[in-house]
Amino acid sequence: MLQFPAWKVLLVLGVLVWGVVMALPNAVNMSNAPGFMPKQAVNLGLDLRGGVYLEMEIPPAEVISSRLSVFARDVRSAFARTADREPIYFQPELRGRTMLIKLSRPDADGNYPVEEALRRLDRINGPIEGGLAGGKTFEITRAGQDGILVSVSSASESAMLEDALSKTMTIVRRRVDPEGVAEISLTPSGNNRIVLEAPGEPDPERLKTLLSRDGRMTFNLVESSPAEIASAQAGIVKPGYRLLEGPETGPLLVREIPEVVGSDIATASQGNDEANRPQINFRLNANGARKFYETTRNNSGQLFAIVLDDVIMSAPRINEPIPGGSVRITGTFTMTEAQDLAAIIAAGEMPAKVQFLDQRVVSSTLGEDSIESGYRAAIVGLALVAFFMILAYGLQGIFAVFSLVANIVLIFAALSLLGATLTLPGIAGIILTIGMAVDANVLVFERIREEQQNGRSVWTAVQAGYERALITILDANITTLFAAVILYSLGSGPVKGFAVTLALGIITSVFTAFVFTRMLTIFWMKTFKTKRFAI
Amino acid sequence: MLIKYWPTETKIPFMRYRYVGVVLSVIMMVASVYLVMTRGLNLGVDFAGGSVVELRQTDSVTVADVRDRIPGGLTVNSATDSNGAELVVIRFGEVDASLLGPEFAELTDEEKADRASAASNTFVVNTLKQEFGLTDQDILRNDSVGPKVSGELFREGLIALGVATIMMFLYIAFRYSWSYAVGGIAALIHDAIGTIGLFSLLQIQFDLTTIAALLTIIGYSVNDSVVVFDRIREIRRKYKQMPATEVIDIATNQTLSRTFLTGGTTLIAILAIAIFGGPVLQGMSVAMIWGIIIGTYSSIYFAAAIVLMLGVDINRKPVEDTPGFEAMP
Repeated sequence: MLQFPAWKVLLVLGVLVWGVVMALPNAVNMSNAPGFMPKQAVNLGLDLRGGVYLEMEIPPAEVISSRLSVFARDVRSAFARTADREPIYFQPELRGRTMLIKLSRPDADGNYPVEEALRRLDRINGPIEGGLAGGKTFEITRAGQDGILVSVSSASESAMLEDALSKTMTIVRRRVDPEGVAEISLTPSGNNRIVLEAPGEPDPERLKTLLSRDGRMTFNLVESSPAEIASAQAGIVKPGYRLLEGPETGPLLVREIPEVVGSDIATASQGNDEANRPQINFRLNANGARKFYETTRNNSGQLFAIVLDDVIMSAPRINEPIPGGSVRITGTFTMTEAQDLAAIIAAGEMPAKVQFLDQRVVSSTLGEDSIESGYRAAIVGLALVAFFMILAYGLQGIFAVFSLVANIVLIFAALSLLGATLTLPGIAGIILTIGMAVDANVLVFERIREEQQNGRSVWTAVQAGYERALITILDANITTLFAAVILYSLGSGPVKGFAVTLALGIITSVFTAFVFTRMLTIFWMKTFKTKRFAI
Repeated sequence: MLIKYWPTETKIPFMRYRYVGVVLSVIMMVASVYLVMTRGLNLGVDFAGGSVVELRQTDSVTVADVRDRIPGGLTVNSATDSNGAELVVIRFGEVDASLLGPEFAELTDEEKADRASAASNTFVVNTLKQEFGLTDQDILRNDSVGPKVSGELFREGLIALGVATIMMFLYIAFRYSWSYAVGGIAALIHDAIGTIGLFSLLQIQFDLTTIAALLTIIGYSVNDSVVVFDRIREIRRKYKQMPATEVIDIATNQTLSRTFLTGGTTLIAILAIAIFGGPVLQGMSVAMIWGIIIGTYSSIYFAAAIVLMLGVDINRKPVEDTPGFEAMP
């Protein structure tokens, strides 16, 4: 127990030196240090550096209804006339998680072609994406003599949600951080939530605007006859068309089925036109470019609307066929708006509109204040505890203070090693550790004192002190560690930050108080031939 | 020892007064439960939902100005930050839907419930910016928690408390015996209820940070109880014929100076947080100060007293044959 072979001493010193090296960037600026030294200080949480925290949800009902409406488009083409087949006329009705397809034209005998419709639907009903069991995406059943009910099985629903979550994560990242340079962090939470943390970003509204757009981009041909527009405004819309508005174009009738869609777009970026006004540049992929060329070739003289989320962004007239697939939109947007729109268009369409559940914003000034007050509290706490310990135990108290400082250094080193984030409650956890870490030392010192009072020699007293206190220390610390680990795994936000430093503090304090202090004590006893500790 | 602030050998007959202690503890717990039921807890936005916006108070932006010029049923208060600067703290739930514009009126009730709190937050912040010419940097803090998340956070907090308690119970039952586990957990529940009672009495804000404080108190409480238990077991092993009351008294007395030293240093550290840590951590540190005081008290008068009633002996095997209870080499 009291033997410290050289290798043990080296190990302990090695751990401490490693701790100092790892923790150093937190105390001094290491940017000019040699290459082998770590330069990165501990990650600071949003509450300490300022920034935006957003928690968003992808509503399952919307994911399903948007999948159903996509399916409705497929149904439309499956039911359309082909060379050898009659068309089936129908009316889809979306009812939350189900869709009712009502056939609207009976044959001469008054029968609806339900059997034929079911056959055609079965062909377009694919297997569950990513599913291993091989079930179908939709459950399609007959409903009465003229209807078909389309619903989603629970297996298919969870596959859709999983797919929507990962798509949304990608789109969120590409919208918020198109260059991939910002330090944003995206974490899935549960099966339909995403937590976005953007340090340094002061404006939650900009993020919310960026993320709340569907990003559904289409290029539609326009019916420009004033009579048709007037009648549409009066409520009679020409079949196959929709009445949409745009800030620059006013109301226009656009063809319901677009010529080119968002998935045909390869890239989008912000640029400037000849008059140096901001514009948005697109490149279409090969398929998109071909469709764009055909449309512009066949519809000379017509208006071609560029529509984002049912708003017409611009509707230029087609003067000549445009090959190559490069398109631009000019309009009355600012530079930032153009940048954001380009990011939205390039990122693609959200599987469903996200809902914002939880938003927290801390300004960087408040963050700096918090660091400062936390730092001050830690210094004052440390100084007072040190004073108290030296007052109580004299020389041994000084050893305890050394181990306390080593403990704090090791907590920072461990935070760096784990890449954990330090938050304001985390600083509180460190300060609490400062208070509680001396417990192990106190337990040992009290034992040594008792043993000395019972007339034991200093060596036996020290030996007995450490031996007997060990189990108590372990029992007491393991129970607290339980609390910390559970806090970490079940808690969120501030609770987690607190739990990290508390748990690390408990582990490092056992090492510093039990191993490091003991080493100091024994070194002292050997060097100065101590007869009795004044504790 | 340089200063003798505690007599080295105390002989306080703690267990003679155990019934007084248990009665006091029960009174405190009943009072706490009564307070929570009648006065309730001052739930922060984490658990109650809604928004809180914090601004620095200046000559042109005062509590009264904000109250007068921003519509929507806000609660506006002042607070002081750690540097002594005055803050305007605005707390609100959902503002009147008519303020949020015509699009909002068209939403269904379900959509409103989901979006109202976020929309209200946007409305208040934008109005603040317009009315007072503020920028994003002037808004020090802006938290907005929707009803869905706040309910979940509350549930998760309670689950964390519950699971932590069960784990600690199992650990103590495994290392000692079930009577110790009951004693330790009773003390822990005693401390948690007492602290929640204090929150209700002083109407300190109860939020996520508070849950962290409660868990710390629980950890500290068990830590403290375990140290006493350890001594009880050790003395029991040494003096098998000694009456249980005396065993506990000796154990408590022998650990007393440690109890006060550790409690003292922990209190000092938390006092530093309370005084220098700024307003965010103030509620948490007040709770922890109280929690450590009653945690220290309860490890003697509640935990030890219960162990005394249920039996100090380690069950299962006779003590002397049980391996693993010897000090580790």
